[in-house]
Amino acid sequence: MIRNYIKIAWRNLIKNKAISSINIIGLAIGIASCLLIVLFVLDELSYDRFNERKDEVFRVVFRANVNGELIKEAVVMPPVAQTLKQEFPEVVDATRFKRIPSPKVSYEKNNYRNGKFAYVDPNFFDVFTLPIIKGNKVAPLDKPNTIVLTKNEAIKYFGKEDPIGKILLVNDLQFEITAIIDNMPNNSHFHFDMLASMVGYSAAKNTSWMNSGFYTYLVLKKGLDYKSLESKFSAIIEKYMGPQMKEETGMTFAEFTKDNQLGLFLQPLTDIHLNSDFSSASTLEQGGDMKSVYIFCSIALFMLLIACVNFMNLSTASATKRAKEVGVRKVLGSKKSQLIGQFLTEAFFSTAAAMLLAVILIVIMLPFFNNLFDKELQMTYLLEPQIVFTLVSLLIVISLLAGVYPAFYIASFKPIAALKSKFLSTGNKKGVRSGLVVFQFVISAGLILATLIVDKQMTFIQNKDIGYNKKQLLVLRESYFLGPNQTSFKNQILTDPRVERVTSSGHVPAGVTNNSVTGIYVNQKFDRRVNIFYIDDEYIPTMGMKLIEGRNFSNNFGADSLNIIVNETTINKLGYGSNPIGKTMIIGVNDDLKTFKIIGVVKDFHFRSLHQKIEPLIMLNKSSSGLIVRAKGADMSGLITSISKLWNNYQVNEPFTYTLLDDSYNETYMAEQRMGTILKIFAILTIFIACLGLFGLVTFTTEQRFKEIGVRKVLGSTVSQIVLMISEYFIKLVMVSFAIAFPLGYYSMNIWLQDFAYRTKIEWPTFLIAGFITICIAFITISFRSIKAAQTNPIKSLRTE
Amino acid sequence: MIKITDLEKYYKTEELQTIALNKLSFDVKKGEFVAIMGPSGCGKSTLLNILGMLDDSDGGSFIFNGEEVIHYNERKRANIRKHNIGFVFQSFNLIDQLTVFENVELPLIYTGVKKAERKKKVHEVLEKMQIMHRRKHFPQQLSGGQQQRVAVARAVVNNPKLILADEPTGNLDSSNGNEVMDLLTELNKQGTTIIMVTHSEHDAKFSHRIIRMLDGQKVIENSLI
Ligand SMILES: Nc1ncnc2c1ncn2[C@@H]1O[C@H](COP(=O)(O)OP(=O)(O)O)[C@@H](O)[C@H]1O
Ligand SMILES: [Mg+2]
Repeated sequence: MIRNYIKIAWRNLIKNKAISSINIIGLAIGIASCLLIVLFVLDELSYDRFNERKDEVFRVVFRANVNGELIKEAVVMPPVAQTLKQEFPEVVDATRFKRIPSPKVSYEKNNYRNGKFAYVDPNFFDVFTLPIIKGNKVAPLDKPNTIVLTKNEAIKYFGKEDPIGKILLVNDLQFEITAIIDNMPNNSHFHFDMLASMVGYSAAKNTSWMNSGFYTYLVLKKGLDYKSLESKFSAIIEKYMGPQMKEETGMTFAEFTKDNQLGLFLQPLTDIHLNSDFSSASTLEQGGDMKSVYIFCSIALFMLLIACVNFMNLSTASATKRAKEVGVRKVLGSKKSQLIGQFLTEAFFSTAAAMLLAVILIVIMLPFFNNLFDKELQMTYLLEPQIVFTLVSLLIVISLLAGVYPAFYIASFKPIAALKSKFLSTGNKKGVRSGLVVFQFVISAGLILATLIVDKQMTFIQNKDIGYNKKQLLVLRESYFLGPNQTSFKNQILTDPRVERVTSSGHVPAGVTNNSVTGIYVNQKFDRRVNIFYIDDEYIPTMGMKLIEGRNFSNNFGADSLNIIVNETTINKLGYGSNPIGKTMIIGVNDDLKTFKIIGVVKDFHFRSLHQKIEPLIMLNKSSSGLIVRAKGADMSGLITSISKLWNNYQVNEPFTYTLLDDSYNETYMAEQRMGTILKIFAILTIFIACLGLFGLVTFTTEQRFKEIGVRKVLGSTVSQIVLMISEYFIKLVMVSFAIAFPLGYYSMNIWLQDFAYRTKIEWPTFLIAGFITICIAFITISFRSIKAAQTNPIKSLRTE
Repeated sequence: MIKITDLEKYYKTEELQTIALNKLSFDVKKGEFVAIMGPSGCGKSTLLNILGMLDDSDGGSFIFNGEEVIHYNERKRANIRKHNIGFVFQSFNLIDQLTVFENVELPLIYTGVKKAERKKKVHEVLEKMQIMHRRKHFPQQLSGGQQQRVAVARAVVNNPKLILADEPTGNLDSSNGNEVMDLLTELNKQGTTIIMVTHSEHDAKFSHRIIRMLDGQKVIENSLI
């Protein structure tokens, strides 16, 4: 019997080639996209789970609300680890690391600056599972000035030589290599190439609770409720921080916490990757984001649903064509159960074929996908039990979904009725199918709308007046390596005719920047934190910023040392009223309070990303290392080559590095750009699958109305009249889908836009465009098939009697 | 009105080529009622399709109202067809989803007649065919005779100069068949040219002239008047 089912199933597949392949391709794309996203999501969720103690390890983080300003840091004070371990028996172990950004590493005559370096406590390897593959496996970091390298990092310096016992110079300190670890897994929330012992690092012994910088992890007793431990932290903070605060600021802890809050909190290790929103300075690596995991999951689900809906739709539609076959079989004595078996076998067959095609598609698409998501997903993931299980369950569920409905529906035809007509009238079944088409186009139109809005926001970001001119700015932040030669380097650059201006400042409004904050004081009392830029007289003109009141700093060095230029927000937020020039402000500078006079107001410019509102900013006339060059003309790369030649003349043993401010600006929105690209791709795929379905349904409809089309043509109907007649119904369905898709899309995209403090508006032309695109695509799909039907010579359909 | 000369039509299937029309020539004058007879497969329907400009011929000449139409493209032919020719089929070919009224109205829609005018014309012709009371019914709810009367109504609603009828009584019993023949005779008396394919000698007697065919050729022509 099964053999017979399979034989018939195969023949039917072959006979209805067009519909079968539409069916299978659509489903395959749906499954493939869904699986790719599943791979991505699994990977996102797998972060740090390679650690054997993943459920016991928690990171200590700092959150505070000082004068209404939220502070979130992933780093805490140096003594926190030791204190918590001492105070609480629940804390089994505590370890810290301190990141040192781009250190200079020297071995023999070579200098490097691209390794990632951290000081770590000696028990680091007891907390994190990073297997030592060579050298001292027990206590590699117990002694000062010892260092552990990853496999790749060791190869970078030593090639094939044995690295154990060799000496590396890091920032001119000697470190002996004691062990080599495997390269860190991709799905770790930190990646270091060099781990040096904290034992000899003096900052680590600092007992101050008033400064921060140490990533701190606790190992808790198994099964402990970390929230209850967390609640005991506030007492500890008061006990240790209180006295120090009184000493440094004159304020008691109780006084301070009357209007402000601060606290230490625990973050489960496995939450770090997806649930971190700490200040960019304390963020180790750009993590994932739970929101996008949800978005991708829903897209995956939608794609699969759409593909399944197609499959069901087309299967039922083409099954009604087999009314006659069913009738004959029934008259000849086939049982209902046998017919059901037949239809289910056919569904299973096509699903299996689609599944196979999906796997092939994944193999082809994976590299591209990895590129897009910035991941290194492996094909072998697909062999993981979860995935295999998902695949098999999908196979069964889809076969059932697609097969059961037509199976029961058709198998229950009355034989005489089935024999009489070639097609069974499908009154309310048409209703179901229309509903499914509407569903598909709700999702397609919704995704198109979402894509357009993301695009619009990206264009908005590109074109927004950000208060300065980001074009043609070359940032040389590392010019401090030149030491006292910085000035002559700057003067040499200025002689180049391609250079318009140069300013000395390490404060740049996008990308890596010097980051300084200080306090504003009112009546000797701390009032609020404020951002500080150290700039010279060239800064404002070089950056293309506008002074809206007062004057710029003068080039007479020192003349303006007690004057400041502030941004508009400072004026508005701190209440300096309509005539701020000449007013004064008390600011903490190097532990001193000094009174400054406002001499200028600069038009607000965005010195953070557009996600954040512009904050008060104070500019001091103080030297700061780093150069920003405004170029003129198009020969940017030529200019860079010339400057790098100048740099090499100074023989600083440092590679010449630069960034283009424009690039840094764009990199700020990488995540959104990526989201945009991904949405675009999935919108296209979704539309494609939906159109395959539409195409199938139109094919089916034209077959069903074959005779009618013939009659109409004999009576004088033109091809376009027929095409319109067939399209009308489907286009109406698409229109109906807008009524659902647009409010839904509007609602969710508004949520997305909330992430931006500065955002574009969603206006009606966007809906119009989304609708127009959807209708066009739908109409083209429909015409494709219906034009062919309408061009058929009518006598073909009329002579079939 | 119609003059065909050496009309040829082949059907090529995988291996063999069927000669459906073999150098067929005859003419039909305005106002004539011609019956075409012959055994099944001799090419009668093929001929009617070509005369109705639904199909191409493979050679010969076809002059319609003094115009050589043999090389006309689809669009031109469709235009001549919808203004000049009405069709009646053996199997009625009514559209199941449309009511009697809507079926009859179709040709008027395609020739761009205004709505009020359409209603008037359809009512007129339904009245004439005596199926006015059935105008809101669907084809399946009618008897074969009634269906064929609707088909005739649809064929004449545009006042065509020529009606092509392919075995119009083939699916009807004799009394219903006679009604349809009376309708055609009546139309012919009012000036419509009619070419009708039939297997029935009885029906053929309603015509002025019988053309008998065999294997795509005219074998004999008898005039009945
Ligand atoms: N579409 C077609 N393809 C192949 N042969 C055809 C086709 N239509 C008609 N024929 C052949 O042409 C001949 C004439 O057919 P037809 O005009 O339908 O005959 P009649 O209407 O006189 O019974 C027959 O032999 C028939 O088999
Ligand atoms: Mg025939």
